[in-house]
Amino acid sequence: MIQKKVCMVGLFGTGKTSLVQQFVHSIFSVKYHSTVGVKIDRKAVEVDGTSVTLVLWDLAGRDGTSDIPASYLRGSHAILFVVDGTRRESFDQLPELRELARAAAGEVPSLVALNKTDLTDQWILGQREEAALAAQGCHVLKTSAKTGAGVEEAFTWLARETARNGGKPA
Amino acid sequence: MTAGAGAVPMDCFGLTDVGKVRELNEDQFVIASLRKSVRLRHTSLTDADLVARLAGVESYLFVVADGVGGRPGGELASTSAVSSLLEYLDQAVVAYHSLNTDQEHDFLARLEESVQAAHRRILEEYGAQGKGPATTLTMVTLTWPRAYLVHVGDSRAYYLRGGRLRQLTRDQTTGEYMVDAGAWTEEQAARAKVGANLISALGGSEMTPVVGLIDLEAGDVLLLCTDGLTKHVADPQIAAVLEAGGSAEAMCRELVQSALDAGGSDNVTVIVVKLGG
Repeated sequence: MIQKKVCMVGLFGTGKTSLVQQFVHSIFSVKYHSTVGVKIDRKAVEVDGTSVTLVLWDLAGRDGTSDIPASYLRGSHAILFVVDGTRRESFDQLPELRELARAAAGEVPSLVALNKTDLTDQWILGQREEAALAAQGCHVLKTSAKTGAGVEEAFTWLARETARNGGKPA
Repeated sequence: MTAGAGAVPMDCFGLTDVGKVRELNEDQFVIASLRKSVRLRHTSLTDADLVARLAGVESYLFVVADGVGGRPGGELASTSAVSSLLEYLDQAVVAYHSLNTDQEHDFLARLEESVQAAHRRILEEYGAQGKGPATTLTMVTLTWPRAYLVHVGDSRAYYLRGGRLRQLTRDQTTGEYMVDAGAWTEEQAARAKVGANLISALGGSEMTPVVGLIDLEAGDVLLLCTDGLTKHVADPQIAAVLEAGGSAEAMCRELVQSALDAGGSDNVTVIVVKLGG
């Protein structure tokens, strides 16, 4: 069995837990609970004829008082960065979080989820921001943990990339 | 009990009380150490790290379980669950002491499997279809500095750091579920008769363990407790007791006494783990 550790990284309240809940349990909670420490879920994904078990580390989001411990990121096979498309700060802090993850986990496949696309009237990210991410070499997907849009696609992309990467963290 | 959790000294204690209303105490708790099987008696080896690793206690186990009130044999369920857990861990878990990703995931899977095995045993011993005895279970395995958590039901784990109390678990109750789903407000959940009903329990028709972890720091205080504490003692009061200092035993006694003073309507069980002296 191939197991891949995927860390969910982003500011608090960007929807990391909701994305995992939608992907693993097909549910969406309307009530916000901040994650304490790390919550771990698993789901097997079939990619190119191979079963890959994603071990999803849902890390407490960065907030004003605490940063993301590097010890949680070590040994990751992939990172899913989550940006709240309705909150500018979650986009602005992405480069810093990517640098933190790179320092702790090395060069591993990563994806940027621009989350909460269901909140169309509050969406603040445009083509300019997406172009900036593309210029930095980021693989970007728009997601909604509420509707499920893009969620399966995001995790399946990561599973495929980690399987292709040979299964070893950097 | 005073011991060392890897690099830091540790003071831990557990206490249970039947309370003022119930006739039977259906709670159980365990504090245990997980040791590796190799014990060096005499060696010419000079690798200090290896010798220290083989000789020392690697991990600690803390468990609280609350037999479900209102069902016959709640105490049978909590006893069976904890006994089964210990037997499984004794046979299947080698103490784990390094942050190697593959080993860590196997270790976590075994911890989760130990809970599944305990659930199966209750169903086998006391009746299938999830209508017999049932129990909550909250388990922390500490391999310094990492605390691994497996949780089922509405017992709780908390930690105190820098004066701030954080709840590591979420209650698996009808009330929480309905609030999450947006069907009830928190006030409705608190008022509803079925709000406190468990939606996940060992021996129950549903058993959904939640797995997590957190890296602890010297100075942190870890608390595991059954709902006999939290239905009477609010979080700020718990935080005040843990922050006030004193031994783990003194903290346990004060928390249990607070629950009794506030009515003691249920069995109450606490484990306090002070890290860093």
